[in-house]
Amino acid sequence: MKVQQRAGFRWKGYLKLELSALAFLAPFLIPLLLFYIWPLLRGVWISFHSWSILGMQKYVGLGNYKKLLTGGDFFHYLWNSFYFVLLIVPIIITLGLLLALLVQRKIPLQTTFRSIYFLPYVLSVSVISFIWLRMFDSKNGLLNVILDTLGLPTVNWLTSPGAAWWSIVIASVWWTVGFVMVLFLAGLQEISPDLYEAADIDGASAFHKFRYITLPGLMPVMKIQIFFQIIAGLKLFGQVQIMTNGGPGDATNTIIRYIYVTGFKKDMFGLAAAQSTMFCLFMLLVAAVQYFFLNRKTD
Amino acid sequence: MARILIYLLTLLLAVVFVTPLVWMFIVSFKPEGVSAITIKEWVDFSDLTLRNYAKVLTESQILTWTWNSLVIGIITTVITIAISSLAAFAFSRKSFKTKGFWFLLCVSGLLIPTEAMLIPLYETVLHIQLMDNIWGIILPSLTNPLGLILIKQFMDGLPKDYKEAAQIDGCKDLRMWWSIYVPLTRSAMISIGIFYFIMSWNNFIWPYIAINTEENMVLATGLPTFLANNVLHVNTIMTASAIAAIPTMIIFIILQRHIVQGVAMTGVKG
Repeated sequence: MKVQQRAGFRWKGYLKLELSALAFLAPFLIPLLLFYIWPLLRGVWISFHSWSILGMQKYVGLGNYKKLLTGGDFFHYLWNSFYFVLLIVPIIITLGLLLALLVQRKIPLQTTFRSIYFLPYVLSVSVISFIWLRMFDSKNGLLNVILDTLGLPTVNWLTSPGAAWWSIVIASVWWTVGFVMVLFLAGLQEISPDLYEAADIDGASAFHKFRYITLPGLMPVMKIQIFFQIIAGLKLFGQVQIMTNGGPGDATNTIIRYIYVTGFKKDMFGLAAAQSTMFCLFMLLVAAVQYFFLNRKTD
Repeated sequence: MARILIYLLTLLLAVVFVTPLVWMFIVSFKPEGVSAITIKEWVDFSDLTLRNYAKVLTESQILTWTWNSLVIGIITTVITIAISSLAAFAFSRKSFKTKGFWFLLCVSGLLIPTEAMLIPLYETVLHIQLMDNIWGIILPSLTNPLGLILIKQFMDGLPKDYKEAAQIDGCKDLRMWWSIYVPLTRSAMISIGIFYFIMSWNNFIWPYIAINTEENMVLATGLPTFLANNVLHVNTIMTASAIAAIPTMIIFIILQRHIVQGVAMTGVKG
């Protein structure tokens, strides 16, 4: 009898703790459930249907997935996004590191340089796309004018398939490399100055100090950054939508833009939901790889 | 010698980075048709005009869009920080059985970006009739897990004595949160808050889909409609970009230290 009472009391105590904690979590959990968890599940549900915005729905089972896996489009545009990642990640990481190394030393106008490199990051994607649309203009764009003045051949930046990708890469690097720089600057501050002093005493060269102290010291930040940039690259939409509209032809169409067009322009919601679901699985795969790499050796 | 070369490289890169912005401002003040592509045109101040600015301000809804971006940015930031801080308090200072489960659920938001769930999100927001409404933009962007994780880390770092002292004084949880933990994590919350504001201000894809009447648009999505209507007016387009760029540039210049700190926090620890 007494034992039962005690157990009941303990159970009530737990419940009280749970509820008081949940009260604090609720304001965060409710929008999370409504606008994250629910749409995720709902998306899977929609993907099994032939579905239009006006509300015509028909269960088609795995039909959408079949269409998606047998037609080559989905993988083609997924590859396009991945291609962008392959182009931009090495450049943005290297340049970000270089900028961080340049402005970490005490030099005249140090903070001004840092601000200038970072400034484009605070602009919105529309603004940077407008600026670079003009910069890349084949006749009156600053870039071709400069190339011409230097006696170099001009480029049809946005209208030839090969150059169009590089245009998107250049605009994106200019826009976000400051972010990478700031993270490397924070990483550089974590490296103990003693290590450099010891190296100086040993007469190590600048290159050796970089190779054996700076680079290993930045490794944790570097790994996080690489994955961050991979994910950001896979999400590419705004720059392409505004600057090239996926063109020339279909050359710079990305997976996100493909899903957007399928769903909102062609009104094939079911198929677009299947594409979204597949893309979500792909992102989960990337996250799993990231987890594996970041936690493999943590010393 | 090497030092001078490195300094020159730094300077050169800075010039390269700032040129597109300077060019944008110069073109925005030039009469229609002048592209300012030669040095001579750059330094020629005689033909500068405010006509483009007058045109953009009267013929487009750019001020309305700026206002909408501002309202959405402030509301999103304040609510996000408040609910993240409340949740962080529970995760950091309360012990309850299901903590691990809820925490995993909260941070799972890091795995899948909004871009990957546009279709079902559209369906959901349409269903609760928030399409073409600023709340349809605000509500889906409230549960950013990054701020929650960072504020929790800050609270974890605070000494436990505070909690015990407050309990002895008979402080209730909510008051303890408000009068002890909020002030102690203030500087972190300001940095994260400014970062959130910039993110909200620059948010593009979701407002682009969720808002279709011009007067409800935000700056980032209103500008492309302006482009569509003024394809041939090169200078006017640059003027519109300049007007859109000025608010965030001013915020950046004033709050630089906080912004850089906020970015560093979100990236290194996230």
